[in-house]
Amino acid sequence: MSTALKIELGRRYRFSASHRLHSTHLSEEENCRVFGKCNNPHGHGHNYVVEVSVSGDVDPATGMIANLADLDGFVAREVLDVFDHRSLNEEVPAFREQVPTTENLCIEIFERLKSFPKARLERVRIEETSNNSFEYAGENADYDREAVRQEGNRP
Amino acid sequence: MILLTRKIEFSASHLYHNPDFSPEENRRVFGKCNNPHGHGHNYTLEVTVAGEPDPVTGMVLNLADLKEILEREVMQRMDHRHLNYEVAELAGQIPTCENIARVIWQLLEPKINEGKLHRVRLYEAPDLFADCYRNGSNGAAKA
Repeated sequence: MSTALKIELGRRYRFSASHRLHSTHLSEEENCRVFGKCNNPHGHGHNYVVEVSVSGDVDPATGMIANLADLDGFVAREVLDVFDHRSLNEEVPAFREQVPTTENLCIEIFERLKSFPKARLERVRIEETSNNSFEYAGENADYDREAVRQEGNRP
Repeated sequence: MILLTRKIEFSASHLYHNPDFSPEENRRVFGKCNNPHGHGHNYTLEVTVAGEPDPVTGMVLNLADLKEILEREVMQRMDHRHLNYEVAELAGQIPTCENIARVIWQLLEPKINEGKLHRVRLYEAPDLFADCYRNGSNGAAKA
């Protein structure tokens, strides 16, 4: 059986920032053991790549889900201007309490972008380095699990 | 289920222009992409097919068959072409990444008879792409 085609637009952005992985709930030894080099008190930095996927109807007049200028402007205002060349621990309020792992960074950026007015935010994928990447889809991931469950029930 | 992906590259020119818009509106909405002389990109296409490996061959589908389908349906149609004027399936549509990805899906889906077309991802540039799949099958591999 055929269902409708779904189109998503994906866009990659870059920013550079420093962080230190350290939990106030752990002892010095535990912090050192759990976070290793990333616990260095002076911090360290990454060139982050943020991949943002949005979905929606393709407007027949423009051929677009959302105008890139709108998406770029929104991401610049909500994320890049706030995070680029900053210390995540010191300058992003969410990371005063939370450890700025890339898992938590995915959630923070998803929360900042989910109010994009021109399309539906599907997921945020972040490359911390070219070898490590993380993805977060918020509640959209629940729809995925539901789809898997239903597929599993098919004879 | 296994997902198998084949990547190809093609180069093509295009421009964005809606004849129902005024010249000012075209420039405002499409920006540089409205240049009447057109411009081009190196497109990268990733085609992902889902299926179970055949017990005899160990393959979801033969990559040589997929390569031949992509050559016939995509390369011969789009490589070194002007997408506005030379690709019948795009006639009357703005040749954005979104629309090209959908057209490629529609061209490939009926031709892939072993396994099932799972995702078409078309990069217009390394930082801009469109994904196309059947609703409810959301990109990620499923058990």
